[in-house]
Amino acid sequence: MMVNSENRKANKFNTKGNWFVIIVIVSFLLFPLVIKNDYIIDVAFFFGIYTLLGLSLNIVLGEVGLFDLGHMGFAAIGAYTTAILNTTFGIPVLVLIPVSAIAAAIFAYLVCSPIIHLKGDYLCIVTIGMGEIIRLTLLNNPFGLTGGPNGVFGICFPSIGNLLVIDSCVKFYYYIWIIIGLTVIALIRLQNSRIGRAWNYVREDVIAAEASGIDVRYYKLLAFVIGAALAGVAGNIYATKLMIVSPESFTFMESCLLFCIVLIGGMGSIPGVFIGAAAISFFPEIFQAFAQYRMLIFGAVMVIMMMFRPGGAWPRQRGKIQTESIIIRAEKSEI
Amino acid sequence: MNRIKLILIVIVILSVCLSINVLAQQAPIVIGLQTPLTGSEAIEGEMASRSVETAARMVNEKGGVLGGRMIKIEVVDDACQPRAGALAAMKLVSMREVVASISTYGSSVTQPASDIYEKFKKVNIAYGATGTGLSERGLKYFFRTCGRTDTQGIFFAEEVVPYFGAKKVAIMHDNTSFALGLAEETRNALLAAKTADLVYFDAITPGESDYTVPLTKLRETNPDLFYFTGYFPEAGLIVRQARQIGIDATFVGGDAAINEDFKRIAGLEYAAGCYQTQEALIQHFTNPEAMEFKAKYQEVYGDLPSSPWPVYAADALMVLAEAIDKSGSTDSDVLVDYLKNKMVEYPSITGPIGFDEKGDRVGTGINLYKVNADGSDSIVQR
Amino acid sequence: MKLIVEQLLNGLTIGSFYSLIALGYSMVYGVMKLINFAHGDFFTFGSYLGYTLLVMGTAFATSTLGVWGGMIAAMLVAAIGSGTLGILVERIAYRPIYPTGRLPAVVSALGASIFIQNSIMVIWGARPHAYTSEVVPDYIMNIFGLRINLLQIIILALSFFLMGVLYYVIQKTTFGAAIRASALDRETAALMGINIKLIIFFIFALGPALGGTAGVMVGIYYRKISFIMGWNYGLKAFTATILGGIGNIHGAMIGGLILGVLEMLGSTYVSTAYKDVFVFLVLILVLIFRPTGILGEKIAEKV
Repeated sequence: MMVNSENRKANKFNTKGNWFVIIVIVSFLLFPLVIKNDYIIDVAFFFGIYTLLGLSLNIVLGEVGLFDLGHMGFAAIGAYTTAILNTTFGIPVLVLIPVSAIAAAIFAYLVCSPIIHLKGDYLCIVTIGMGEIIRLTLLNNPFGLTGGPNGVFGICFPSIGNLLVIDSCVKFYYYIWIIIGLTVIALIRLQNSRIGRAWNYVREDVIAAEASGIDVRYYKLLAFVIGAALAGVAGNIYATKLMIVSPESFTFMESCLLFCIVLIGGMGSIPGVFIGAAAISFFPEIFQAFAQYRMLIFGAVMVIMMMFRPGGAWPRQRGKIQTESIIIRAEKSEI
Repeated sequence: MNRIKLILIVIVILSVCLSINVLAQQAPIVIGLQTPLTGSEAIEGEMASRSVETAARMVNEKGGVLGGRMIKIEVVDDACQPRAGALAAMKLVSMREVVASISTYGSSVTQPASDIYEKFKKVNIAYGATGTGLSERGLKYFFRTCGRTDTQGIFFAEEVVPYFGAKKVAIMHDNTSFALGLAEETRNALLAAKTADLVYFDAITPGESDYTVPLTKLRETNPDLFYFTGYFPEAGLIVRQARQIGIDATFVGGDAAINEDFKRIAGLEYAAGCYQTQEALIQHFTNPEAMEFKAKYQEVYGDLPSSPWPVYAADALMVLAEAIDKSGSTDSDVLVDYLKNKMVEYPSITGPIGFDEKGDRVGTGINLYKVNADGSDSIVQR
Repeated sequence: MKLIVEQLLNGLTIGSFYSLIALGYSMVYGVMKLINFAHGDFFTFGSYLGYTLLVMGTAFATSTLGVWGGMIAAMLVAAIGSGTLGILVERIAYRPIYPTGRLPAVVSALGASIFIQNSIMVIWGARPHAYTSEVVPDYIMNIFGLRINLLQIIILALSFFLMGVLYYVIQKTTFGAAIRASALDRETAALMGINIKLIIFFIFALGPALGGTAGVMVGIYYRKISFIMGWNYGLKAFTATILGGIGNIHGAMIGGLILGVLEMLGSTYVSTAYKDVFVFLVLILVLIFRPTGILGEKIAEKV
């Protein structure tokens, strides 16, 4: 009896959860058709970019608990790879998406391998250093490649031949949100897989994980590589939208904002990243009217946010598998 | 009863029509201003915003444009960042009532912003972006009231170096878009004119306090002339530290390097005797428009803008008001035609303005200024 | 040869400022394990307080106490002001949050930093200000052919003096032992009867106070102050702390000096434009071979 009613409760929750997801997806799809203001659609686009970047940092920081404050550096690598290859060799932007991802991933692998064993705050300063090294090197225009402070401009729009050219605000909006949709599906599957569980294990207790036979070094490095690849993709999309990349877009402050996105949303929580990214991108625009006081309010809100919801706006729900399995076992035994 | 109702309805309709008419006539002409109100260049944004408001007041007090319509300014902050700049431009473009935009400070922010204005066919006038490449892209709606860095570089190589009789020149910049551009243009001009040897060319990191290490390196190359193309916060520190470690070379600043703040930061005893290649400081203008601007600005804010760029922003507003008024329309193509073809030597705050085919300003000159012992500036060479 | 000595002196001067700020930073960091992003802004706040007293107060302090007296008064005011601000920030922004974990505290620190920075901008204006020459002594001496600023010597001496005092307090006094114990293990220290609340009060008062004093010194020495100058110094302080080893207050001192000299080497022998790249590369190399910093960490690893 008890089991049946609990079963029904579990079912109801699932249905409700499904409805919620469907409503969200539909509203995202209909958004540009309802709101015809190009400026707001553009803000929604940058909301998407921050979400993608937040998702990429979520893998490193949220899942594995690695303290990464230089993540924009990977996005910069992706953005500049796209920019340079597109303007010099005319390679189409869509082809460059996997290329940028791989470039960022290789860079992450090479750079993180020697330092992956560092703990907590030491890793933090090293990632800060890496982000700064990338930005400063780009700024100084080595071999005349990167254009120095002016950056690289003239990047083409993404296009498949002459058929589908993504050049308007609305098209860019759908472009990025479809990519985010695919990414979210992949990430959820990753979360529930062996890799995801190993990552969470490493975050909770490194020594126990090591003792259980998990190759901690491999999983940490994997997290960095995948996170970097995703950031590289975000960099690519950012480059084609703005048509120009410059080192100013990839500062230490931006990495800090990404960090805040993951924490404000909830570490390891995918819906949380959406909320965090929304907060970071909509907030400055909504408060344009306050001019000078804009950033002041922003800082205060961050502190207040942490005071009242330190776990994040939408903390990761854990233990659902546990509860479900108890119900399933109880069900089976009843019968 | 019916007749009374009828009369009432007619009165209501008449008054509504009248008020619509009156409102339409009084509907302000909205001009957008994109400027950094927050961030490291917040001071430039503040001064630009104030200057443009002052200019708008000057126009409105003379009766506005197009038969009595007042100019209203819509300010949007772009924090001197490319992405925020693109968003700010989008915001102004999406506001139907904004006729044209004055945008912005910083070449790397102006670039993506001007791309957006071009796409949506809105006239945009840059006031603080001297990057040479900006007007070389074949854009139709892009203008600027400030000069270009290549003119300044040529002035330095061909006029300033022979003036001091210098044989060895050191150029220091700070790796920002503007400073690097000016430094490179100057280097190219020096190579072309062969008036002196370049013995030092390197960048400092802006935002720091201690430059004794690179300055010591510079001292060892023994230059006659030291040209710093960066901004006034660093310039002030650099001059003082340079003198303290024994660099005797004449110090020349680019046009972003020397202003009232520079003299405060360096201290008067070190600022005196410095020179500057400069477009226009409002203090030196004595034409009637400039005097009026200075008076109105000072009456509300108490001081004067400490760099040339805010005044160029004010000029952009004057130019737009004039174009709208004389061409009788707020349509972008009509305005472009007026500005490029029909505006000749319009007397603005900083002197006569016209625009060439690329949207660059016709009619700026670079001067060499000297800081005197009492803190005032004087023009030394034109 | 003379050049190298001169450059070394320059590097050490820069480094001594880093050390001072890193000291205050490391005190909080060592005990609370909190990356206090707002520390750079305490430093800025202190320098603005000094500016207000000396310059905006129509040189009242200088005329009554003389130039040197004015400097000392400014440093005291800045120390007290920054210390108070530190305690306030701790109570409002940190205390409710660090029981819940380290990372939310980092976000809170970042928020506090943005808030303080922009408050300074709103109160004093966005323009960079300058300590005017009337309130700043300026003698240049010529020792063995080297041009040395008297102020440089005084700042170096003062920094070492403060560091020495702090060293003595932490190494030789009982209270210092209590601080070191709390840095090792906060919970056990509390169990041993150490008044943790008092320790926290002390470090959040003294750390920012040191930062504020450093702010006045920077204002006097370099003269230019702006509301964003804390960010860069805060990052350098963090780097110095890590370089020396976490939890190691003396490590922060050494780390700061080494950082200054490294910057000087990078600037002179590599290129001024690539200076920071060089410094970070060296930092990464050091950490690869000595993962707990130069002086090492004094924390046992729990298994």
